[in-house]
This record gives sequence, C-alpha cells and structure tokens, in this order.
Amino acid sequence: MQTKILLDEEQMPKKWYNVQADLKTPLDPPLHPQTKKPIGPDDLKAIFPMELIRQEVTTDRYVDIPEEVQDVLRLWRPSPLYRAFRLEKFLATPAKIYYKWEGVSPAGSHKPNTSVPQAYYNMKAGVERIATETGAGQWGSALAFATMLYDLECTIYMVRSSYTQKPYRKSMMNVWGAECIPSPSTKTKCGRAMLEKDPETPGSLGMAISEAVEDAASHANTNYALGSVLNHVCLHQTVIGQECREQLAMVDEYPDVVIGCVGGGSNFAGIAFPFAGDKLNGKHKDVDIIGVEPASCPTLTKGTYTYDLADEAGFTPLLKMFTLGHDFVPPSIHAGGLRYHGMSPIVSRLVHDGVMRGVAYHQSEVFDAAHTFARTEGIIVAPETSHAVKSAIDEALACKKTGEAKTILFNCSGHGNFDMSAYDAYHAGKLVDYEYPDELIKEAIARIPKIS
Amino acid sequence: MKRIGLLINPVAGMGGAVGLKGTDGNVEEARRRGAIPLAQNRATITLALLAQETGLSFVTCSGAMGEDTLRETGVEQYQVLYRYCGESSAQDTRQAARMFLKAGLDLILFCGGDGTARDIFDVVGRDVPILGIPSGVKMYSAVFAVDPVTAAELVTTYEIQFLRDSEVMDVDEEAYRAGELKTRLYGFARTPALAGKIQCSKLVFEEGNEDRAKGEIARFIHEIMIPDVLYILGAGTTTESIAREIGVNKTLLGVDAVKNKKTVAMDIDEKTLWVLLPHGQEAKILISPIGAQGFILGRGNQQISARIVRRVGMRNIVVVATPHKLRETPVLYVDSGDPALDAEFGNSVLVVSGYRMAQRKRIYQPERG
Repeated sequence: MQTKILLDEEQMPKKWYNVQADLKTPLDPPLHPQTKKPIGPDDLKAIFPMELIRQEVTTDRYVDIPEEVQDVLRLWRPSPLYRAFRLEKFLATPAKIYYKWEGVSPAGSHKPNTSVPQAYYNMKAGVERIATETGAGQWGSALAFATMLYDLECTIYMVRSSYTQKPYRKSMMNVWGAECIPSPSTKTKCGRAMLEKDPETPGSLGMAISEAVEDAASHANTNYALGSVLNHVCLHQTVIGQECREQLAMVDEYPDVVIGCVGGGSNFAGIAFPFAGDKLNGKHKDVDIIGVEPASCPTLTKGTYTYDLADEAGFTPLLKMFTLGHDFVPPSIHAGGLRYHGMSPIVSRLVHDGVMRGVAYHQSEVFDAAHTFARTEGIIVAPETSHAVKSAIDEALACKKTGEAKTILFNCSGHGNFDMSAYDAYHAGKLVDYEYPDELIKEAIARIPKIS
Repeated sequence: MKRIGLLINPVAGMGGAVGLKGTDGNVEEARRRGAIPLAQNRATITLALLAQETGLSFVTCSGAMGEDTLRETGVEQYQVLYRYCGESSAQDTRQAARMFLKAGLDLILFCGGDGTARDIFDVVGRDVPILGIPSGVKMYSAVFAVDPVTAAELVTTYEIQFLRDSEVMDVDEEAYRAGELKTRLYGFARTPALAGKIQCSKLVFEEGNEDRAKGEIARFIHEIMIPDVLYILGAGTTTESIAREIGVNKTLLGVDAVKNKKTVAMDIDEKTLWVLLPHGQEAKILISPIGAQGFILGRGNQQISARIVRRVGMRNIVVVATPHKLRETPVLYVDSGDPALDAEFGNSVLVVSGYRMAQRKRIYQPERG
C-alpha cells in the first residue's frame, strides 16, 4: 500500500494547460470600467508585462514554462500526492481519498506556482518594483519570495483584519525583503478615501486590490500582480492538476470527484482545469468537480453571474463572473483567503455551464473537518484548505451510505501553521457561523453596474 | 484605576427556594418559610476573584449591602458611601445608586435580581454601566453575567468599546405569583460585554463598537426595504437605529410601524397592529432578541402576538442583533404563547448582524413526547 505517490523532477510539467482552448465558445471579454467596451492589451500595459497579457487572452492549449521558472519550481515540485489511508479508515468509507499537498512550497501554499513566473516575466520586461494585495498573507508571502529571487522591490497591501490577526505572515514577507502595509492605508488616494468613509473598516481584498493597482498605475517602474482570479494566474496553477493526473495514473486511478476550495479560484483552477479539460473533451464525462466556498461569502452558490468590477474602487476591468457585488465586504472569517466578492471568470463560466459546481459550508463545520484531518493524517491545514477537506469528507461519507468506492481527489492547498489562533477559537467554541443573507439581498444586487 | 460601585441586595433570591417567586415586600414571609440569604454568598465568589486584582477601587454600602463582603474577601481599597439601618429596602438601593452616580464611577456591580436591576437603572440610566451578579428569583434582564465567575471576568477585562445595550425587564410580581409571566421592557442599560480572550485583535474588527454595528445593520435593512411593505419595528436600540437611518422617529420601548419610510403608528398595542394588517397588506417584522436571555418573542414585545406573526408570515420575520449581543446570547428562544407557532421557527434562525451579514443561531426547541 503506497502512501506517497511521487514524480521525479524530470516529470514535472514543462507546459501549463490552458482550458480556454477547450471551451466551446470564447470567454466574454473584460470590459473597460468607463467605456464598457472590451479592453485590449494596451489598456493593461500600464500594470502588466506583455507576456502575461498574452497569456491572459491566449487560446493555445499549452503554454511553455520557461526553463528559468522550472528551475525555481523544482525547489518544491513535483509536490507529493498522498493516499489518505488513515482518514479513510477513520471514516470507515469505501471511498479512496487522495490529496495533493501544496504546503511543501517555501511560502507554505500553492501561491508560489504563479508568483514565480509572474515575477520572472516582470523582471524580463525590465520592471523594478511590483505592488500587490494579499488577503490572509499567503499570496503576499509567495510574491515576496518570488520578487526576492529576481531582485525586484515588492510592496504588499495586506487586508487590515488579517494584518492584525496574522502578524507572522507579515514577518515572512519582511524576511524575503518585501514591504507590507495594512490596507486601506494612507499611502494611496483610494485608501485615504476608504478610510475617510469608514476609519474602522476591517479592509477587504477588493479595497487592497484598488490600492495596489493605484500604486502600480501611478509609478512608472512599478507593475501590479494578482494572486488569483485572472486567467494567467489560473493557467500557472495547472501544474497541480497535471501532476495529479500523472500521479494517479501511476496507481491506475482516475478521480470520480475533484475538489478544491474557492476564493478567487486559483488553487481550485489549478487542480480542476486539467480534469475539466478531460470532461469538456469527452474523455471523462462523469468527473464531478466541486469548488468549496464559505457560507459567509458564497460567490458561486449565491452570487449572480454578470459583469462586475474586480475591486472596490473601480480601477479594474469589468469581468463576467459570479459576484456578490464589488462593494460587499465579507465578514472576517478565519479563511481570509476566501473572502472575495468575485470569482475567476473561467471558473465562473465552467460553473455556469455545469462543468463544475459550487458548495458552501459554515466555518465551524469546516474546522471540525480540519480537526479530523489533523488527527488522522497529521497535517494542520489552513482554514481555506479546510473547506476542501470538509467536502472530501462529506463525499466519502456519502460513499459510505451508497457503498460506492469512489476515487476522491482534493487539493490540500496550504498549511495552517500561522492560523493557530483560529484553531484556538475553534477549541474554545468561539467560531461564529456567519451566513450571507441572500434572500434579503436579491433585491439589493441591483447595485452592480449594469452594462448597456 | 477602575472605580467600581458594589451593591448587594442581601435579600435577593430568598423567595425563590421557598416558592415565593420574588422577594419584594415578602422578606418576612420568606424568612418565616425558612429562606436563607444567598446574595452575599454569590457576591463572595465574584469578589474573591476581584480581590486578587490590582487597579480596582470600590465604593459600597454598609454591612450586608457590600461592606461585609469586601472585608471578608480581603479587598483593601474601598470606601463606604451609603449607610442603611434596619432591613435593607428598594429605597436603600435607589439612595445608594444616587450616591454612586454622584461619585462618577466606571461601573456599578450589583448582586440581585430583576428588581434590583430596575431600581439601579431608574437612578443611573445609561450614565453608568451596570453589571449584575445573578442572585435573584427572576432574572429576565440582560444586565446579568451568566454566573459570578464570569462577572469577575467582565469586570477585569472590559474596555469602553465593549459596552453593549442590555434590556432591563420589569416583571409583574403579582401576576407572576399567580402563575402568569407578564414582562415589560423597562429600558436599556449599558453593560460590559466579554471581549473574547482569544483573538482580541480580530474581535475589534469583527464587532467594532455597538454603534458601528447598529449602523451597519441599519444601512443594510434600509437598503433592502421594499415599497408599500409595512415594517413592524420591535423595541430596542437596534431597531431604533434602523428608524434613524430611514429618517423616522421610533419609540425605544414600544412597537412602531413604518411604511414607505414614513411612520404609520407608534407605540402600538396588539389590537391596533392587527387593524394595520388587513389581508393583502404585505408586512415584515424587524425584531431583536433580548440580550443574554435570547427571547425573540414573548418577552417585552407581547404586542407581536402569535396571530400577528401568522398574519405576517414566518418568513417575513427579520431578526437583527449586533455581534456583541449574539456573543452574549448562546441560544435563542421563542415563547409566542402558541407552542405550534414556536415549533414552526425550527432549530435555527438567520440573524442579521451587519451590512449584508448574518449569523446562523440555534433556537431552543423543547423536546416533544
């Protein structure tokens, strides 16, 4: 019985998989926030290097991973795939549970899979500094690590509630040489406006994105980088799913269920897109692909599929996606990385088309699951990841009822070593089950900017 | 240095164990039936913990109303502001509260029941925060800590931003002794709330202060208000802030009705409310549970009767409460007078606790045979 399924370094994917190539019809284009006309590469040039803009829109099925990027990825890739024997035994399920462990990267999550190529392309384009935002600090630390590799300066706007809640994420960014500022801040015009409107705001990803975009747009040598949502970010994460498919093939398996947690959608995209491609191509029509989100920020399950802004202030293009409204500030749950009003346009499209589906859970039940996972498999996962764990456990328990021996794969996207206060709160019975009052809100969704 | 006024109602709770359902005006009878004073023992638990703290100074009343307990638990810094003779009475409680008010204290810590809470609140209102060590027969007010140990914790940990509004309830003792619970909302005191020991920094963000939280709830409710729907606003400061947001006046203790952002009627009784709800009149009820006790219906808002709820429809009840209040209120209760209706509420309810934010809270349902 093999617990760890490992690939050699030579077997690490040399190309990223682009699911856009397998969509039946093209994605709806991003629109300019003022003119509402589709944006072109020129609109993005101020904040992104040309190669990333190309990757954003390309419909090529594969995009080469540069050798220099592969060299860095090999620090932790290929990442291990585990068979969760102990969890299966504990659940007494006939299901086979596999998890892809992305917590082995230096930053402790899947985020460096994209921070490294993003920093690389910016360095190649002669950019000297990158501004970004971070929610729970996973992305910020991953970009701090990547910019250090290529001698770029890095400024990170960290959502204020997380900044206070997880001081050690900030310390990590500092170790790798980045500057970390609580957002909203007084450094930017939009940050000052947000603080004036509400001096005690806990901040949100939407606000922090606005600050980072303004910073990048107003400094000549500075570009912007986003840790999720955008097509090129999802593209970079597809190394995860491609490796999984190889690793499962080594034990003659193909998943019946593929699971990832969703905030902006990148780790979910990473594990799911290669399998979604198989589904779209008709190779594996029945694979069930599940994105798991918090009940307090239920973008996929309770949101509206429409054009909306990706940030609070309105600097970003309008994206066609599932959204709860760009002015929605999700409650301060412990899974800070899932607190985002919108969703990757590709994930949104695939959910809309029925290729994937969303489920939502309350905070206390996902911590129950994370606790079970830590007590069986040993790994203490991030609160974000615990959503995927919960769904995997529920799927396995459903198999117990039906007697099916399904193969369940989930993305174990990061460790929770900086989230122990959340586990303390769980043990003290102090987790609050926030829920999005969607029935009351349906009337209010009218606030989303309409396109003519 | 925190300055705390300590007041013990030495006879509070005596009537309970001997079946008197309240001790006001019944001390002699209670003693005759063999009741023993409890309040000092309860207060001793709290004070013994506080005696170990530095940074607290007390003012109190003579003898059994406070001084004895402070001395016995070894509290060193205290001053007796009020002296009473003979059997202590409600007049003594009020007189002491007046002295406390003049002294400019940070908190009044009292040991007693609903009657004691009401007597102190009558004098100090919202000028001084009050916190009860539970020791009465009836404790329907939200000013009480869950137990004497928690009371001590609240005294030592609370900061000014963690004050919450707490309902002071008036229970009709005569009716209560006759087996009928008649509660009336008497007012809103201010009470320290538990600032979670874990993740304090986070709680500041989650909860902010009460006014901010109420403002967010009000902004959200305002945003989703539908034209031509009659909004029935229950009592309380949260619904009051909703009214303020819409730009109408609201009675703090009464039930008011609003339609198209205009007041239809204020301080309405059940019959008037019924008249306002002819068939076809769409309506929503906005109510807030009583802090700590958790009653959504049946305490202090009996105007919203079972037939009113049925007419409006269960799904049109919108429960609102600040995160602080919800933290202090582990379980919600419904006591509409109609057990079948109470059961229809189910095992949980969504409580709006912020702007486009709600919490799922458990509703207690009695076991049924």
